[in-house]
Amino acid sequence: MNTPDAKILIIDDDRELGEMLAEFLSPDHLDVRACLTGEDGLEALRNETYDLLILDIMLPGMNGLDVLKALRERSDIPVIMLTARGDDVDRILGLEFGADDYLAKPFNPRELLARIKAILRRTRSDERRGGSVAVGKLEFDVRSRRVEAGGQSIRLTGTEFELLRCLAESPGEVVSKEQLAREVLGRRHMPYDRSIDTHISNVRRKLSDAGVDNPSIQSQRGIGYLLLVDERGA
Amino acid sequence: MRSLLLRIFAAFWSIILITIIVAAVIGYTYAERTRVALQNFEVGDAVFEASAALQENGREGLTDWLRNLPGPAEKLFYIVDDKGRDLLGRRLPEVIRVSLKRFGDRDSRPPRHRRDRPNLRPARPFTQLIGPDERVYTLFVVPPHTVKAQWLVDRGLGGLVLLALLISAVVSLVLARTLSRPIMQLRSSANAIAEGKLDTRVAEDIGSRRDEIGLLAADFDRMANELQRAWQKQTELTRNVSHELRSPLARLRVALELVRRKTGDLDELDKIDVETERLDELIGRILEYSRLDADSRERLSNIDLGDLLRSVVDDVRYEYGELGSNVSIELNADVTSTTSGYPGALRSCFENVLRNAVQHGRDDGHVCVHLEKEGSQAVIVVEDQGGGVPDDELKKIFEPFYRSRTPQNATRRSGGLGLAIASRAATLNGGTISARNSANGLRVEIRLPLTTDRIVPSNQ
Repeated sequence: MNTPDAKILIIDDDRELGEMLAEFLSPDHLDVRACLTGEDGLEALRNETYDLLILDIMLPGMNGLDVLKALRERSDIPVIMLTARGDDVDRILGLEFGADDYLAKPFNPRELLARIKAILRRTRSDERRGGSVAVGKLEFDVRSRRVEAGGQSIRLTGTEFELLRCLAESPGEVVSKEQLAREVLGRRHMPYDRSIDTHISNVRRKLSDAGVDNPSIQSQRGIGYLLLVDERGA
Repeated sequence: MRSLLLRIFAAFWSIILITIIVAAVIGYTYAERTRVALQNFEVGDAVFEASAALQENGREGLTDWLRNLPGPAEKLFYIVDDKGRDLLGRRLPEVIRVSLKRFGDRDSRPPRHRRDRPNLRPARPFTQLIGPDERVYTLFVVPPHTVKAQWLVDRGLGGLVLLALLISAVVSLVLARTLSRPIMQLRSSANAIAEGKLDTRVAEDIGSRRDEIGLLAADFDRMANELQRAWQKQTELTRNVSHELRSPLARLRVALELVRRKTGDLDELDKIDVETERLDELIGRILEYSRLDADSRERLSNIDLGDLLRSVVDDVRYEYGELGSNVSIELNADVTSTTSGYPGALRSCFENVLRNAVQHGRDDGHVCVHLEKEGSQAVIVVEDQGGGVPDDELKKIFEPFYRSRTPQNATRRSGGLGLAIASRAATLNGGTISARNSANGLRVEIRLPLTTDRIVPSNQ
């Protein structure tokens, strides 16, 4: 897999870990910069453009969730967050605040690399592809990763956008969680993993906040999700 | 009568009721005594005596006679002098004043009834006595029922009692409510704290009271403060321990990958990787276990046990791959079993029991999960075919880090916290967990209270 150069920012208070990760990721043409605090990280994101952010939730001072909240007000940059294993609340909150994926710390660095590549690949292919698709009242602008409904723009994170587009590719058909995880998160669907469900519920909430009831996302228990389009209402 | 409100209300009201009855009895007894006394009292004799007293000792004699009349009779006789004053200086009853005004003190014609106040008959001057000094004294006999409150009695004693009862009921009810309302508030606050809303305080509602209940409210809030502080400390500690133990592990794993790049894949590196992962899992389990103690982070909600079990079985099948395919699940189909509990803790309970069963079953052995309703309880049975444990160890397997003496179990057991976590999680959800040996293996039984009515709609 040949990934072009990408700039990555790590916000983690563990200096040594940041340094080792930079060393680990550099052979894959990933340019890593590390910040030790949330404040520094936000500053760095303001001054420079990064392709991806790796964000530790347990930060001294301004914690990772606050950083994420502040960041999401102005940027759609893909975010992988690092959480403590077993801390479901942080993980779910993180996904709700718009993180694209998460890894439990201590993680396998190869796993991290795989996730980074999956997200970058997805972002890049969207930029190449372009074009727009319409499903029900929704219009997808793939290049700018925007979804509009009746002229109103709905703000989605990269992962949420991908999930919705993935469902929109085959409206009315059930897409399994397996497939969603593979295509959207670039990995296998793991047991005990509720991230697809959390992302879906975020998309649902954002659609209903924007007053969009057609198409609607339905769940098939134990299997997956489908996008239901009411043609009469379209 | 369980409610405090009802009890206080009933107590006060019945006391008032008893008071009314006692007062009525006393009043009646008194009236009866007067009646009996007057029966033996000849008015004619009295007038004769009065006249004799007047002739003998003049005004003073008459006054003395009046003063010395027997108790009840004294209130019946009024003797008014020519200036219109009673000899004993008593305030004249209205009936006499009306009589004096209308007929003049010398008029002895029988009075006519006034139409507008039929109950107020003017008292008839009984007789007039003329003293040695030629002064005229008018003697009135006031019938005993011409008291001023007479009209109330005439409206009916029943109405009076009813009115008194009504007023006293309202007063009792208000009093009872002022006592029971703050207690109900304390109760709902205590429940809120038990459900994990640790920031609940009562001072705003009842803290302004200066009585004992106000003090209780202040103490309650102090307790809630302490509880919240202790819980925060515990959570903080757990998070810090987690962070401090895991940071070196995270560095270790990255360092390991860097080494692997330089030296290529080595079996020893894989071994280090596996052990690092194991250490991480163990830390996770210890934290999970300690967190279950004070896990108020979750909100109580209604849980569909069938759904939860199916989802846990799916996860475990997935986690254990081929081994997991031996897990079968059997849900009593006609039962929707809902329990009120902490979803995360309950999931962790089922997961750990099931993992334990899969790990200890034989490779080709089946693990059966079974859900059934028994009275007001849901019974979840997880049965493996791993040969069970010695009978004297059946209780000990739920203790943390307990290792079975059977060599087969000792080698295959990992962590030694799974069943301890399950046990704690079951207790936290108001249930019980027990184990016994079945024909082929271990049979773990979890009993949980069922909710009969769905108060909170499920979040699904």
